[in-house]
Parts: sequence; structure tokens; C-alpha cells
Amino acid sequence: MEKLKYDKPSISKINAGMPSKFGLPVKQKIISEIDGIKVSTLMEEYGSPLFVISEKTIRETHAEAKRAFETRYPKVQFAWSYKTNYLDAVCSIYHEEGSWAEVVSGFEFEKALSNGVHGSQILFNGPDKSKADLRMAIEHNACIHIDHFDELYLLIETSREMKMKARVAIRVNMDAGIYPIWDRFGFNYENGDAWNAINRIMLAESLELIGLHTHIGTYIMVQSAYAIAASKLANLYMAIHRKFDYWLKYIDLGGGFASKNTLKGAYMPGNETCPSFDDYAEAISNALISSEIPHENLPILFLETGRALIDDAGYLLTTVIANKRLNNGRRSMVIDAGVNLLFTSFWYNLGVYPTRELEHAEESTIYGPLCMNIDVIRDAIVFPQVKTGEQLVIERVGAYNITQSMQFITYRPNVILIDNDGKTQIIRKKESLETFKNSEINPKRN
Amino acid sequence: MKITDEVRISDNGFVFNSRTGDSFNVNPTGLELTKLIAQGHDFDTIKNMFLEKYDLDDLTFEKDFYEFIALIKHHQITSHEDPLDFK
Ligand SMILES: Cc1ncc(COP(=O)(O)O)c(C=O)c1O
Repeated sequence: MEKLKYDKPSISKINAGMPSKFGLPVKQKIISEIDGIKVSTLMEEYGSPLFVISEKTIRETHAEAKRAFETRYPKVQFAWSYKTNYLDAVCSIYHEEGSWAEVVSGFEFEKALSNGVHGSQILFNGPDKSKADLRMAIEHNACIHIDHFDELYLLIETSREMKMKARVAIRVNMDAGIYPIWDRFGFNYENGDAWNAINRIMLAESLELIGLHTHIGTYIMVQSAYAIAASKLANLYMAIHRKFDYWLKYIDLGGGFASKNTLKGAYMPGNETCPSFDDYAEAISNALISSEIPHENLPILFLETGRALIDDAGYLLTTVIANKRLNNGRRSMVIDAGVNLLFTSFWYNLGVYPTRELEHAEESTIYGPLCMNIDVIRDAIVFPQVKTGEQLVIERVGAYNITQSMQFITYRPNVILIDNDGKTQIIRKKESLETFKNSEINPKRN
Repeated sequence: MKITDEVRISDNGFVFNSRTGDSFNVNPTGLELTKLIAQGHDFDTIKNMFLEKYDLDDLTFEKDFYEFIALIKHHQITSHEDPLDFK
């Protein structure tokens, strides 16, 4: 006897007249290819999980940001925020696009130099600069953004010893309407610390003050905060001119533009609520152009945009290991990529998508593979039924995940680049036992 | 395991639980399973019936069966007194 086609038994609760919080359910989005290459082909060749970076998206996003600012303000210079993603292959694309480097450690400084960035085009931020770091920065004529008074005095001492001049800016923190204020970095504007630091620097013969820096926070969803920040830096810029008859070269507004990811707890998806590059550019340019600064003395505007430039260019491909019903009836699945690879899953409801049309969507939990309770990629996502071995794509993971990923329990995966011609290549190799043997020392015992 | 007294199952796959006020749709195989359980058949009997009728292997059936059982139990369509029931 011919057997009948089998369908998995299913039961679904009827929620009459109860739309989800985003309105009626929309068609499930699928991501079956990246830059024209099938996800299955990429995983077959490079394994699972797999980070994929799209050169095309990097360049297009960069061009969009550049256009937004350059059409509104006469002098704009981007500096690639290394900590956001410092794979050499990624940094090199930004440098090719004309970006300088923004670094926050001696390690990142060395990386920028080794990527061929000229020392004078490195902005050196951060609270942790050792004497050796400062020497390196002075030797290479970098722009040192002073974070605190101890650094200021160490820098005076170091530059005197070297009998060289250090080019410096100060980091300023301020009330720009964003709370909590990141007052742990830099000198405060409102209480006068920033002005004091400026005065001290202007008296130091071995220091040359060339700019003012601020970074008001990250994932800033209101562009008006940047207008406030720009105005306050413009006030300092003018105060310096009045007192010392001297024009600084630049104002640096740091990073912090929101990417299109959706913050946990947000009511609406990030791609619908976040300001665009145009919105940020409009707010900043207006604030600077309408400030007291005479047009011919407008400073160069530096931007250290990180996540908004790279998030969209990064994907993590992953495979379903298991399906499981939880005690409360909730569907859950285990995938082969954990929170140790996806640091941003602690902030965002990352977008996880199937690679083909699937049915029977219901609210599900997605767990990573680590034998740890915290390993939750999505705690509630409406997701179709998947079989083990099903390939999934996590999008917008280009920022902070690769740099902050932890080696834990298993090897970190390959990272590949899809270049502009659609060719793929590994830009960081998967770890192996050798990776660890190379740096571990197991003392001999008798 | 038995179907809760307050549950009504219609032949088109509509299930209503008057105790919780919830209603459900079950697909045809789900409906078939629910009815077989209501009739008091045990796992092995139901399995053999399914394997005979459908193009299906025993492990897939077993996985799907227990998942379905967990769901209808969660929705209070069945009640279990004995946690070792259906082992
Ligand atoms: C000084 C500085 N500049 C730039 C950035 C990049 O920020 P984002 O990725 O939010 O644009 C950071 C990140 O924290 C930073 O600390």
C-alpha cells in the first residue's frame, strides 16, 4: 500500500483579534545569499559558524556617511574606530576610503602603523596610555587626546625628556542631554575642568594644542545631542581664540551614531527609529556653521563613527544543532554560535533569519551551544520550525563582535571577506589546538 | 494521560478548552494523534498505526510525538497525574 505523506503534528493557539506588538504578522524575512553568494556555498567552503564581511556594504555605507557630511560641511575627516572592528582587512578598506585611524591602546596604535597609516593621521584616545605608548605617539607625531590630568603631566614630562613637541587635544565630557553622562572620560565642560586643562596645555612649551574631542556615548538616538556637543566645543574653540589669539585645527565629535540594530526593550525596530547619517550631519553642521566661529576659521570636523559604519556589513552564519520544547511549552533551539561570539547580543535583539521559506512560526528561544545558562542569543523571537542542520543567518554583527569575541569552550570560527568582485577569502583563520599550544607553557615537573 | 473533561475537539481540527477559555487549531496529524490519545491508546500502538499509514521513520515519529504531547499538556488539553506516564 502506498504510504501517505506525513506532516508533523502541530497545534497553535488562536489569538483572535490580538495582533502582535508590531501589528499583524508580516512575511518572514529570509537571507539566502550575501552579495550574490549562497549562504550554503559559503558554509560548505568555510564551515559553521562563520563570520562574513561584505566589502561592498562597507564601502557603500562609508560613501553614504561621507556624502551626508561633505554636502553640509566644508572640511570633514573620518577616523576609523579600531576597537569596533580591527581586522587588518577591514581597517585597510576604511583607510583606502580615506579614513584616518582612531585608536585607544598601544596595541591598536601599532596595528594602525602596521596597516600603513601615517602616525600624524592617528587619533590616540583612551584613559590607558603608558609612558611607552606616549613616546611612540610623540615619535610618530600622532594626535594625542588627553583623558585626564595625570596623563597631561606624564605627557609634559615625556615630551620634555624627548625634547620633542607633542600634538594634543583634550577629551571633553559634558551634559548634552544624554544620561548617564560619560563623565569618566576626559575633562568636564560645565565645571570648568576642560578650560583649566586647556590653559595648562597652552602654558606647556612641549605641547601643541590642535583640537578638541568629545564622545558623548554610543547608540545615541537623538541627533540634537550632537548639536549641543558641537556648540559646547565651539564655545571652547572661540574662548581659546579670544584668550590666546590662536585657532585650533579640529573639533572631533567622536562616534556614537546608532546602527540599525534594535536595542533590547525597544518598542520599534532600530531601522525605523534611528536617525540617518543625514539627520546627524544636519544637526552637527548646523550647530558648527551657526556658531560664533567665523566661516573662514571653521575647524576640520573629525568623526570616529564605529558601529553605524560597519554593523550592516557583518553577518554570522550558523547551524541549528537541536530543537527542544521547554517545560513551559515554549519552542527553543540550540545553534552553533554562542554569546562568546556575539557580544552585542547582550544589547540588541539581533536579527536571526532562515535561509529559505519555512512554516509554523511561533515564539521561540534561541540558545547558543555553550554549556552555560547565560548563552541566550534571542529569548523571544517569532521563528519558523527548523530541523537540525538548518542554516541560519544573523545580521548586523559587524561592530564589536569580532573584536570582543572570547575564546571559550571551542575554537573561534573563520572570518571571511566577500570582496567587491564577489570573491571570498579568509581574513582571520579559525582557531585550532595549535593556536593555543603556541602561547601556552606547561612547566615540566619531575 | 487523558484528555481533560472540559476539552471539546471538533472534526475540522478546532479545539476548545472551556476551563481556560483557550481555543486552538490542530493540523490533521495533530487531530489524529489527539483522538487516538482520547481513545486511550498507548504510545506503541499509536506509533505502529502511524508507521503503517505514513511515509515516516520511527525516530521522527517519536520526537514529534513527545513534542506534541508536551504541547497539549502545556495547553492543559491533557492532564497527567503520573509523571512517569507514557514512558
Ligand atoms: C572615543 C571613541 N570614539 C569612537 C567610538 C566608536 O563609537 P560607535 O561605535 O558608537 O560609533 C568609541 C566607542 O566607544 C569611542 O570610545
